[in-house]
Amino acid sequence: MKTTSLRSSLQLAVALSATALTAHAASQSFDFKDPKGVNNVQFKLDAPLESITGTGTGISGTVSFDRAAPESVSGRLVLDTASLTVGNPLMGEHLRGANWLDVAKYPAIVFEAVKIAHVRTQGAQVVGDVTGRLTVKGVTKDVTVPVTFTLLADKLGARLGNDKLKGDLLVLRANFEINRNDYDLMAGQVTDKVAEIIHLSLSIAGAAPRA
Amino acid sequence: MKTTSRLTLTLRATAVAALLAALGLWLATGAHFGWTQTSRVIQKHDELTGIDYPVREPGFVAGVEVLLSGGALAVALGGASVLTHRRRSVAA
Repeated sequence: MKTTSLRSSLQLAVALSATALTAHAASQSFDFKDPKGVNNVQFKLDAPLESITGTGTGISGTVSFDRAAPESVSGRLVLDTASLTVGNPLMGEHLRGANWLDVAKYPAIVFEAVKIAHVRTQGAQVVGDVTGRLTVKGVTKDVTVPVTFTLLADKLGARLGNDKLKGDLLVLRANFEINRNDYDLMAGQVTDKVAEIIHLSLSIAGAAPRA
Repeated sequence: MKTTSRLTLTLRATAVAALLAALGLWLATGAHFGWTQTSRVIQKHDELTGIDYPVREPGFVAGVEVLLSGGALAVALGGASVLTHRRRSVAA
């Protein structure tokens, strides 16, 4: 009787461990440091003469994603504010200056994913509304962003030009808006010259190497 | 018979040249109706990931302020030429 009970317990423990290991193995951690210079976030603010548009390329961070269980997604993405550029040099100075992003004091914009809702699969893509904490200029607000996840299995070698390198890629795409007043970006000021809504478009690819 | 001084003529010629130079520069760099840009964005496409990404390359695109500056300089030089012409006429 005792032997049977002990065996059952051991079997249960082995089964639980195997389940835990499988779950761990299925969820991959993707590193978004980009050796190809492709990852980018583009921003646009309406203005009377022409829209103010620019790009940020200094993106890093990791996202944990499981194609079979996308609701478990988590991660943290960081944008180096000094990497933000616009075409007009004076505008660039203003953008990085103390009144706007103050890059000397706030060198990073951070998004930390907390949960995902309305997850659905559209062909090879997984789409969901990711809620997270967005920190800009030291101000943290909860935002919900519609994100498209595309898992490119076994494409890491092809991306880096090394067929021996095994691993997957995860492409994230998101288009969303924030209000600059929420992040102390000249809050309530120059609204006749620069719109309050900032349109953001994120397109990034992360890599998860396999041993 | 009134003659126009060399200074007046020079001012008028410079005014026309400034206006034409600003207009020519603005047209030659794409007749951009926005602010001056010192870099151009070229959109590229990464085949593997399908990501479209902008690449900034150095490049001058004259904006409306170049056109306005050229116009303002032309008006100032033209005005100065009128003043020098009047003074000469009064002195004569």
